[in-house]
Amino acid sequence: MSSRKKVLLKVIILGDSGVGKTSLMNQFVNKKFSNQYKATIGADFLTKEVIVDDRIVTMQIWDTAGQERFQSLGVAFYRGADCCVLVFDVTAPNTFKSLESWRDEFLIQASPRDPDNFPFVILGNKVDLDNRAVSAKRAQQWCQSKNDIPYFETSAKEAVNVELAFQTIARNALAQETEAELYNEFPDQIKLNANDNGRNRDGDNCAC
Amino acid sequence: MTNQASPVEEQEKLLEEALNVVKVQAFQMKRCLDKSKLMDALKHASTMLGELRTSLLSPKSYYELYMAITDELRHLELYLLEEFQKGRKVADLYELVQYAGNIVPRLYLLITVGLVYIKTNSNLRRDLLKDLVEMCRGVQHPLRGLFLRNYLLQCTRNVLPDTIEAQNENEGTVRDAIDFVLMNFAEMNKLWVRMQHQGHSRDKERRERERSELRILVGTNLVRLSQLESVTEDEYRRLVLPGILEQVVSCRDAIAQEYLMECIIQVLYYAVQQLAAGVGHGGRVPPARAARHPRAGRQLSRRDRSGVPHGVHHTVLYNRRVCDVQVFPDEFHLANLQPFLKSCAELQPGVNIKNIIIALIDRLASYSQRNEGNVNLSVVLEDGKEQEVQLFEVFSDQVAAITQSRTDMPPEDMLSLQLALLKLAQRCHPDKLNYVDRVLAHTDKICVDIHQARYCPNIFKKVGKQTLEHNTPVFKELMKILKLPADHYKNILTLIKLQNYAPLIRHLNYPGRIMIAVHLVNDVLESDTMISTPEDVESVLAMLDVLVKDQSDQPTSEPDVEDFTEEQGLLARLIHHLRSESADQQYLILSAARKALQGGGAARIQHTFPPILFHAYRLAFMYKDLKEQDEMWEKKCQKIFQFCHQTISMLVKAELAELPLRLYLQGALAISEIGFANHETIAYEYLSQAFSLYEDEISDSKAQLAAITLIIATFEQINCFGAENAEPMRTQCALAASKLLKKPDQSRAVALCAHLFWKGPKDGQQWPLNEGGRALECLKKAARVAQQCMDGGVQAQLLAELLGRYALLRERGNHHATTNLIDAIIQKIREELANLDQSEEVEQITKHFHNTLQHLKNRMECPDPDGLGYEGLVLS
Repeated sequence: MSSRKKVLLKVIILGDSGVGKTSLMNQFVNKKFSNQYKATIGADFLTKEVIVDDRIVTMQIWDTAGQERFQSLGVAFYRGADCCVLVFDVTAPNTFKSLESWRDEFLIQASPRDPDNFPFVILGNKVDLDNRAVSAKRAQQWCQSKNDIPYFETSAKEAVNVELAFQTIARNALAQETEAELYNEFPDQIKLNANDNGRNRDGDNCAC
Repeated sequence: MTNQASPVEEQEKLLEEALNVVKVQAFQMKRCLDKSKLMDALKHASTMLGELRTSLLSPKSYYELYMAITDELRHLELYLLEEFQKGRKVADLYELVQYAGNIVPRLYLLITVGLVYIKTNSNLRRDLLKDLVEMCRGVQHPLRGLFLRNYLLQCTRNVLPDTIEAQNENEGTVRDAIDFVLMNFAEMNKLWVRMQHQGHSRDKERRERERSELRILVGTNLVRLSQLESVTEDEYRRLVLPGILEQVVSCRDAIAQEYLMECIIQVLYYAVQQLAAGVGHGGRVPPARAARHPRAGRQLSRRDRSGVPHGVHHTVLYNRRVCDVQVFPDEFHLANLQPFLKSCAELQPGVNIKNIIIALIDRLASYSQRNEGNVNLSVVLEDGKEQEVQLFEVFSDQVAAITQSRTDMPPEDMLSLQLALLKLAQRCHPDKLNYVDRVLAHTDKICVDIHQARYCPNIFKKVGKQTLEHNTPVFKELMKILKLPADHYKNILTLIKLQNYAPLIRHLNYPGRIMIAVHLVNDVLESDTMISTPEDVESVLAMLDVLVKDQSDQPTSEPDVEDFTEEQGLLARLIHHLRSESADQQYLILSAARKALQGGGAARIQHTFPPILFHAYRLAFMYKDLKEQDEMWEKKCQKIFQFCHQTISMLVKAELAELPLRLYLQGALAISEIGFANHETIAYEYLSQAFSLYEDEISDSKAQLAAITLIIATFEQINCFGAENAEPMRTQCALAASKLLKKPDQSRAVALCAHLFWKGPKDGQQWPLNEGGRALECLKKAARVAQQCMDGGVQAQLLAELLGRYALLRERGNHHATTNLIDAIIQKIREELANLDQSEEVEQITKHFHNTLQHLKNRMECPDPDGLGYEGLVLS
C-alpha cells in the first residue's frame, strides 16, 4: 500500500449554521472570500493538493450543512474521515457551546477505530470582528480538556491562520492515516463465490 | 418481486453485505492499480459499482453505499490523473469503459474517466460535459438515476466553465455550464417526481418520506447554479430562473414544487445578490459593474458621501451575516418577483404555498429594511409599460389572488399569510399605517368566513359560535397577528388608530381576549405610555372591554380569584397612565374613565375606582397650585369633590364598606388641606359619610376598631373644623369608641379619643377647641376599662400604652395630665408586672414599659423649655 505515493485525506468540517465553514474552505482552496451568506445544502467537497513533509497529499475537504434540515439523507459522508474540523464563531457563544455535541455526533456517526485519539482541530473563526464573545483562553481550556485538541483562531475573510490551520489538519490526518495503515486493511474474508452467494441483488429484472 | 426496499431490520444486513463486497473489490482494485494493471482494476471497480444496482436499499442505506463506493472511486481517479499527467495516456479509455456490462457501473466509470480527460485537456470540456449529461439518461430507475447524476454533479464541480467568453470555444462558457446544470436538474427532477407514481398506493407515506430524504440531491443542482460566478443579470433573468420555474411548474408535483421554490428563495436568492455585489472579494464592487447597475451605483455613492470608511461599514455588515446580509440590493430578484409569484399561483393544489410566500416576504422585507425605506419595484403592465409599485402592494394583491384561487387552503394558512404581510407592512412601510389596517381588515374577513363555515343551522337554531376556540391553529395565528403590531409599535395609541384592530380581538374566545388584553396592558406599563385625551381613554378601555366588564361568553363558574385580581390589578395600574398635563383635560379623562369602568360591577370597580379617586385628589391639589392662573379653581375643586363623592357612593351602592370609608377619609384630608371655598362643609360631609358607613356597615369587631382608629386619626389631622362641626363629630367618635364590644378594643379606642379633645400646638398656636379636662377623662376612662380586663398581661399591656398617652398629652401641654397621675399609672403597671409569670409576651410589655420610663428620665434630665416637664415625678 505504501508504494502509492499519493495520499488521499478526507477532512470533514462541522459546526453550527453561519460560523463560516464554507468560507474557510473557499479561502483555503480558492483564496476567495465573499460576504454573501448562502446556506449549504447537503454535503459538497473540494479537493486541494498540499505538501506535507515532502509528501504530496490530496485533501478532500467536505463542507457540510450546519442546518439539520439540509441533511435529509443523513451523514454517511462522515465515514472514512481522517480528520474532523470543528468550527465556531468567536462572536457567537452558542456556536462555541455546540462544539461538544458536534464532536459527540461525529464520533457516534463516523465510529472511527480509535475514538479517543481521533484527530480533531478546532477553529475559532471571525476573529476579524470587534464584537468578540468567546475568549481565546476559554476556547483553549476547552480544547485542552478534550485531549489537547489543536486550536486556531482564524479569519476566513482576512485569511488569518487559514493556511496554517489546514497544514496542521493535513499533518494530523496524515498521522492518522499512517497509523491506520499499520492495521491490516485486508478484508476479513474473501468469498470466492461472492457474486453468486444466493443474494438477490437486483430484486427486479431491470438490466441497468 | 416488486420494486421496493425491504423492511428496516433487513436494511442493515443488506447494507453490510454490500459494503463487504465493496471492501473486497476496492482492495483488489487498489492492488491492481499499485501493480499498474489498469484493466483488472477497472474490472474490480465495475464489480464494486455493480452493488449500486440494488433495489433493496432505502435511500439512506443507498446513500451510505454510494458514499463508500465513491470514496473508493477517488483512488481510481487519482491514479488516472497521475498517469495522464505523466503523459502515459491510455488510448481510448473513454470508449473502453463503455464495454462494462451493466449501465450503472458503466456510467460511473465514464464520468470518472471523463473527468480525468477534462482535467488534463480543457479542449474536451464542452463536448464531454454535454455527452456525460446526455448519457446519464440511460438510467431511468429513480433512485439509481438520482445518485448517478449526483455523482456527475459532484465530480464536475470544479470543471464547469465559468467565464463569460471563452478563449477557446471548445472550453465552453458559463452558458454551457448553465445548460449542463439545468438539464441535469430537469432530469433529476423528473426521476424524483416519478418515484411518487411507482409502487403500491398503500406505500404512499413511506414513498413521500423517502422522496423528502432525497430532495437534497435535486436541490444540489440549484446550489451549483448559484456557485457560477459569471452569470449576468440578463442570463439569470432569461435563462436560469425561467429554466428552473418551467420545470417546477410543469412537473405538477406538490412535494417538488414546495421544496424547489424554497430552494430558489434560499439559494438562488443569494446567488443573485452575489452578482449584485460584484462577487466576493471583501464585498467590494468593481467600478465597472457598479456603473452597469444604476441603482447599485447610487447606493455606493451615497455611502461614499456618508464618509463611512469602507472597512468599518464592511465589518458592520459582516456582523449580521447570519441573518442573511448582503452588501447591495438585489435588483434582480425584485425584477423577477412577478414571474416568480405568477409561478406560485400555478403550483399544484397540495403545495404548501404559504411557506414559500412567507419565506420570500421575510427575505425581501429584511432586505428592504436594510435599505432604509421603501423599495419600489417596477411591474410590467399589459400594455408593456413599466409602473413603479410598492413592495407591499405587490404582495398584498398576490396573496389575495392566491387565497382566492386556492379554495383548499386551510384558514390558518390564510392567517399565516396575513401575518407575513403584516410583518412586511410594518418593516418596510413604517409610515403607512393604512397598510397594516388593510391587512387587519382582510384578517377580519377571513375570521368572519371561518365563523360562517362553522355555522350549521340544522344543529344550532341560534347563531353558531362566534369566537375561535382556544389553542386551535387559527386561534394561534390570530393571536400572533394581534401581538405583532402590539410588540412592534409598543404603543397602544397607535393600535387605537388602527380601525380594524379592536374588532379583530372580538374573534377570540374569552380566555384569548383576556390574554391579549393583559398583553396590551403590560405593554403600556412597560413602555410607560401616557394616554392623554378622553377620546383615547374611551378607545383604549373599549379595546380592553374584556377586562372592563362582564362578557356574554365568559365561563359561568366563579373565576379564579388570583387571576381575576391580577387582571384587575393590571387594569388599575393602567389607570395611572391616563394622564394629561392640562388639569381641565385631566378632569375629562377621569370622567371618561369612570364612565367606561362603572359598568364593571362590584368585583371590578373596587380595583379600578381607587386609582381614579387618587387621580382626582391629586388633580384638586393641582388646581390649588394653579390658583394664581385659574380664577375658577375653587369652583373646579368643588366639582372634583362632587365627582369623587359620586364615585365613592357607587362603591357604597355596590355594597362595599371598608374601601369607601377609607376613600372618604382620604378625601376629607385632601379637602381640608386644599382649603377652597366652602371646604369645611364638604370635609364634614365626607367625614360624616365615613362615620355612617362605620355605624351602618361595619360589624366585625376588628374592622370596627381599625375603622374608628382611622376616623379619629383623620379628625386629628384635619384643622378646618369650627366648634359647630367639631363638637358632634368628636362626641360621636367618643361614644362609638366606648360602645366597642371587647374591653381591650374599648380601652384603646377611648384612649385615642383623647386626641380629639387635645391637639398639640401648630405653628406655635394652641388649637382653639382644646379641652384638657375632657381629654383626660378619656384617658381615665380608658384606664378604668383596662383594669376591667381579666387577663393580667392584657391589662399590663394596655396600661403601658396608656402611660405613653399620658406622657404625650403632658408633653403637648395638657396640664391635666399631672405627674401624680403618671406616677399612679407607673405604680399600677409595676404591680401588675410583678404578678405575672415570665413569658415572651410579658418580656415585651416590660421592655415597652422600660422604654417609656427611659424616655421620661431623659426628659427629666433635659427638659423641653416650652413644655410642662415632669417635676415631682420619682422614677426609682
